[in-house]
Amino acid sequence: MTKNEFLLQLKNELKKNNISDLDDILSEYEQHFAFKLADGYSEEEIAAKLGDPTELASQFIPNAPEKKHGGRKLVTVIGMVFADLFAGAFFLMLFIFAVVMGIVTVAAAIIGICLLGGFSFNNIIPGMPYLCAFIFSISFFAFALLSTAACLYFVVFTRQLIRSYKRFHINVLAGSSGKATLPSLPVYPLLSHKFKRRLRMLVLSSLTVLAVSLVSGYIISAITAGNLEFWHVWGWFVK
Amino acid sequence: MNTQYKKGVLELCVMSILKRRDCYGYEISEYLSKYIDIADGTVYPILRKLKSDGLVTTYLSEDSGGPPRKYYSLTALGLKTYEADKKEYLSFAKTIEALLEDEDYDKE
Repeated sequence: MTKNEFLLQLKNELKKNNISDLDDILSEYEQHFAFKLADGYSEEEIAAKLGDPTELASQFIPNAPEKKHGGRKLVTVIGMVFADLFAGAFFLMLFIFAVVMGIVTVAAAIIGICLLGGFSFNNIIPGMPYLCAFIFSISFFAFALLSTAACLYFVVFTRQLIRSYKRFHINVLAGSSGKATLPSLPVYPLLSHKFKRRLRMLVLSSLTVLAVSLVSGYIISAITAGNLEFWHVWGWFVK
Repeated sequence: MNTQYKKGVLELCVMSILKRRDCYGYEISEYLSKYIDIADGTVYPILRKLKSDGLVTTYLSEDSGGPPRKYYSLTALGLKTYEADKKEYLSFAKTIEALLEDEDYDKE
C-alpha cells in the first residue's frame, strides 16, 4: 500500500465512523510518513508498520458510555425529590415519636419519685398508704427503665434507617449520572453483642420487676383497703 | 493481548513519556515501538483520546527550521491522573505477578 492509498483508506474509514477533525488526524499520519521516508523506509514498509487503516480508524471512536444520561438524570432527580419529601416526613414522624417516648419516660420517673418521697403537687398523686405508694413507685421506675431501653433502641434504629436512606439517595443520583456507587447500608442497626446483651438484660429485668410490683401492689392495696376495687375506698377519681 | 486492556496500559506509557518532556507524535511512536510490539499507527488514537480527556494539550512549534510540528504536553490533570494510574497499575501488576508465580504452590 502506498502512502496515498493508506491515507485515502484511513480518511474514508474515519468518515464512516463519524470522526471529527479528519485533517488533524491525517496530518499526523502524513508527518509519520515524512519522518520515516526521511529515514529511508519505503512507503509500503511504512504503511505496513502503521497497521490496518480500518483497524486504526476504529480506534479513533471514543468509547461511548456517556449517552442519553441527561434526560434520564432529570427524571431521577425529580423522582428523588418526591422520595425525599415522603421519607423526610416519615423520619420526622419517627423523630417526634422518639421525643414523645422520651417525655413519657421522664414523666414515669418523676411519678415514681413523687410516690417514693410522698410529694404531691395539686393533689395529682392520689392518696394511698405509704407501703402501696412505695410498691407502685417501683413499678413506675421499672416502666421508666423499660421505656428508656425502647427509646435507646428506637433512636439507634431510626439513625440507621436515615443513614441507609441517605446512602440510597446518593447511590441513585450517582447511578443516574454514570458515576460509581457505594455499597448500600443495611436497614437494621448493626449493634455490638455487648450492647445487645445489655439492652436485653435491661428489658427483661425491668419487665419482670414491673410485672411483679404491679401484681403485688394490686394485691397489697386490695388487702389494705379491704376491697378489690381499692381506688373507690381511697376516693380516687372523685373530685 | 486484549486491545482494550492494552490501550489502557499504552495510555499510561504515553503519559510517562510526556511527563519527561514534550514530544511530537512521531517521537512517541518511535520510542514506544522500541519497547513494545505494536503497530506504529496505534499511538495517534491514544494521543487523541488523551487530548479529548484533557490529559494532554498540543501546541505548534517550528524548531530546526522545518515545518511546524505538533507537540504534546501533559496537563496538570494529566500529571495527576498519571501518578494515580501509575500507582494503581504497579500495585495491580505486583498482585498479578505474585498470583501467577504462585500457580504451582498447591502441587508442592
